[in-house]
Amino acid sequence: MIFSSVSFLYYFLPAVIILYFAVPKRAKNLVLLIASLFFYFVGEPIYVLLMIGSSLSGYLHGLWIGAAKNKRLPVASSVIVGIGLLGFFKYSDFFISNINSLVGSDIGLLKLALPIGISFYTFQILSYTFDVGRGRADVQKNFVDFAAYVALFPQLIAGPIVRYTDIERELKTRTHSFENFGLGVRRFVLGLGKKVLIANTLAELGQTFLYSDEKTVLFCWLAAIAYTLQIYFDFSGYSDMAIGLGRMFGFRFPENFDHPFVSKSITEFWRRWHMTLGSWFRDYVYIPLGGNRVSKLKWVRNIFVVWFLTGFWHGAEWNFIVWGLLFGVLLLLEKLFLAKLLDRLPRFVRHIYVMFIIVISFVIFDASGMSQVITKLSDLFGISGLAFSNAITIYQLKNYAFVILIGAIGSTPLMPWLVEKLRDRFGKVLNVIEPVFLAALLLLVTGYLVDGSFNPFLYFRF
Amino acid sequence: MKDRTRNIIQTVGFLVLVIGIMIVNICLPDTELSVSERRKLKQFPLFNADTVTSGRFFTEFEDYALDQFVLRDTFRSFKALGRFNLLMQKDNNDIYLVDGSVYKLEYPLKPNMIVGAANKYNAMADMYLEGLNLYYTIVPDKNMFVAEKNGYPSLDYALIEKLMAENVKDMTYIGIYDKLTLDDYYRTDIHWAQENLFGVANHLLSSMGAEGNLKKEDFTAHTLSPFYGSYYGQSALAVKPDVLTYLTNDILDGCTLHDYQTGKDSPLYATELFGGMDSYDVFLSGAKALLSVTNPAVNNGKSLVVFRDSFGSSLVPLLAMEYEKVTLVDMRYIFPNMIGEYIDFSEYTDVLFMYNSIVLNNSAMLR
Repeated sequence: MIFSSVSFLYYFLPAVIILYFAVPKRAKNLVLLIASLFFYFVGEPIYVLLMIGSSLSGYLHGLWIGAAKNKRLPVASSVIVGIGLLGFFKYSDFFISNINSLVGSDIGLLKLALPIGISFYTFQILSYTFDVGRGRADVQKNFVDFAAYVALFPQLIAGPIVRYTDIERELKTRTHSFENFGLGVRRFVLGLGKKVLIANTLAELGQTFLYSDEKTVLFCWLAAIAYTLQIYFDFSGYSDMAIGLGRMFGFRFPENFDHPFVSKSITEFWRRWHMTLGSWFRDYVYIPLGGNRVSKLKWVRNIFVVWFLTGFWHGAEWNFIVWGLLFGVLLLLEKLFLAKLLDRLPRFVRHIYVMFIIVISFVIFDASGMSQVITKLSDLFGISGLAFSNAITIYQLKNYAFVILIGAIGSTPLMPWLVEKLRDRFGKVLNVIEPVFLAALLLLVTGYLVDGSFNPFLYFRF
Repeated sequence: MKDRTRNIIQTVGFLVLVIGIMIVNICLPDTELSVSERRKLKQFPLFNADTVTSGRFFTEFEDYALDQFVLRDTFRSFKALGRFNLLMQKDNNDIYLVDGSVYKLEYPLKPNMIVGAANKYNAMADMYLEGLNLYYTIVPDKNMFVAEKNGYPSLDYALIEKLMAENVKDMTYIGIYDKLTLDDYYRTDIHWAQENLFGVANHLLSSMGAEGNLKKEDFTAHTLSPFYGSYYGQSALAVKPDVLTYLTNDILDGCTLHDYQTGKDSPLYATELFGGMDSYDVFLSGAKALLSVTNPAVNNGKSLVVFRDSFGSSLVPLLAMEYEKVTLVDMRYIFPNMIGEYIDFSEYTDVLFMYNSIVLNNSAMLR
C-alpha cells in the first residue's frame, strides 16, 4: 500500500487513527504494530513473514548483545543475518548474472521479487544492534515495542531511515496533542501534494518520453530535468508524508531532505539529499573504518567503500554502482582541490555545476543497466544523431513547462522563507488561510487519485 | 487566529474529511455504470483466502475504491481544473479544449496500422467483392481542423491518404477532407453532425454514380438536447452540451432498418436511446456488426455495402436516399469469414469502405 492511494487515505488511515486513539496508552504500540503488519501485508502478503522474522532476529540479537560480555560476536551475527537476507533477496541475481558473464557458467537466476522496504528496515534493525553494541541504546525487552519500531508504517517502505535511538524514548512515552497532529497533517498533506501533483505529473512526461519514437536532444534534456525533479518530489514528498504521519502519532522522525538543489557543491548536495542514509553510512561504515583520521590511502578507500555501498544500496545493477562511485570521485576531488576552486567561482556557476552533475547522475540512476546509460548519455549530448527538436518536443515542453517551473521553485527554500516572512507579519491571517489551503490541496489530490491510475512510486525498488 | 486554534481546526478538518469520506464510501450503494465515462464500474472484489494471500484482493480493492468513490465525477473535475488552470497543462488524459469544444489527442501516426487497414480492405475485397464497384473514403477526425493550429500534436492526414493510396488495391478513392469543416462536428463528441453532411453525402453519391442531389430543404430536422457527447464525460468539465439533430422525410420514414444479429426491423432513428450511455446511438441504434437499410421508394437497381464505423451511422440515412438497399458492416465487430453467412454480396452494385482516421491509425481493432 502506498500513501498516495485511496485505499490508504480513505480506508486504512482513518481506521487506524480511530483505533489508535480509542485504545489506552499501553495498547497503542500494539495497534501500530498490527496496523503496520497489515499495511505491509497488503503490498507483500508473503514477505510480511520475512519482516517479522527480521524483527525477531533484531530483537533477539539485541538481547544477546545486552547479555554478552564480548559484544562483537552478536553484533557480527546480526550483520550477517541482516545483510545476508538483504543480499539474498536483493542481490542474488546480480551476483549470479555477473558470475555467469565472468566464468561463462549457466547458473539459473532466482528471480525473487524484492521485498518492499527491505533496504530500509534492514538498516533500521542494524542501527539498533550497532547502537546497543556500542552502548548508545538500551536493549529493548518488549518485542511489541521493537517490532513496532521496525514495522512502523509511516516510515516502513521508504524511510526516512529512522534509527532506534531517534525514537527510543517515544516508543515508551510520547505526547499526543493537537499541535502534533495539526502539524503532522500539514506536513502529510504538503508531502502528498508534492508526490501526486508534481512527481506523478512529471512521471507522465517520463512515460511519454520512454515510449516516444520521436526523441530529440531537447526532449532528452527535458525528460532528464523532469526526472531529476520527479525523483526529488517523489522521495521528499514521501518523506514529508512519513514525517507528518509520525507526528500525528506522536513520533518525531529525522528530516531527510533540506532543499538539495540549492547546493553549491556535491559535498553540500549530499548533506541535503537523503540525509538519513548519508548519516547512516557515515556513522556505521565511514567512521568505523577510520573516517579521515587514517592514512590518505585508507581515507580514499573509506570514501570509495561508502560510495560503492551507497550506489549498491539503491539497486542491484552496475549503473547504481557507477552512480555511487561517480559521487565518490566528485566528493574526493572536492575534498582535494575542487572545493577551493569552486569557492572562487560566482555562485550561479557553482549551482550550474551541481545541477549539471545531478541531472546527469540521475540519467545514470534511471537507466536499466550500463548499456542504456551509454545510449541515454549519447542521446543527451547529440552523439547518437538525434535531431535537436521537433513538434512533439515543443508540445511537451509547453505542456510541462509550468509544472517544471513550479517544481524548480518548489525545490528551493523560497516558499518556506516566504511563508515564514508572511507569518511574522500576518500570522493570524495565515493561520486562517492554512487549513483552507490544506483542505483544498487534499481535495485536489483526491481528484487526481480518483481520476488517474498513474501513480508509481520510485523508491519501491529499494 | 492563534496557532493552537489553527492546529485544532487542521486536526478536526482532516479527521472530518478522511473519516467522513470513509463512512460515506462504505455506506453509499455501489453503482454499476459510469455514464460520463461510458464504462462499467468495478464492483467489490472477491474476498477469499486465495485472493487475499495472493494480494489480488487488495489490488482490485483499490480499483474498486477509485471507481466507487463518492462524488467521483466532481473529484475528476477538480483534477481537470487543476491540470488546465493550476499546472497550466495543455491536455488532461489526452483530452484538450479549444474554444469550448472538446478534442482527444491522436498521435503519433502509425504507418503500419494504416497499411494494416489497407490490407484488411484488400482481403475483404478478395474474399467477397469481385466484380463490384469498390470505393473508399477517409473520414478525418476533428483534430485535423484544430490540433496543429493550436500547438497540439497532429496526424499527417495527407500521409494517411498517401499510405492508403499506395496500399489499397483496385478501389477508387473519394476524398472528403475538403467537404468538411470543424463546424460539421459536435463540440462534445467525436462524431460529425448529420445535418452538416450534405456536402459529404452528395460528393460520395455522385462519385459512386448516383445523383448526389440531396438538399437540406427536403428534410425535416428534429432536435434532441442536451446532447452530452462521449468527450463530455472524459473532459470532466462543464462544457456546454450539444444539440443532436436527426433528419427525416417521407422517404426515410418509409425505410426499414434490419438488424442481422437480432433479426428485428426498426425505424432508422432510435430516439429512445437518447440520454443513455451514448446518445449518438440514436442513429441506426448504435454500434452493430451488420445492419441493412431498405428503401422502398428507390428503384434504380443500385445497392450499396458500406464497411464503416460509427461515423457511418449518421451518414448512411442520407446515402440511403439514392439506393434501394444499403448494408452496413462494421469490421470491428465481425470476423470476415462470418460475413458471408449473412450477406450475399452478388446482390449489390457498389461498395464503400469508410473508416475514420482514428480507427485507421489503430487498425488492429479491425478483424
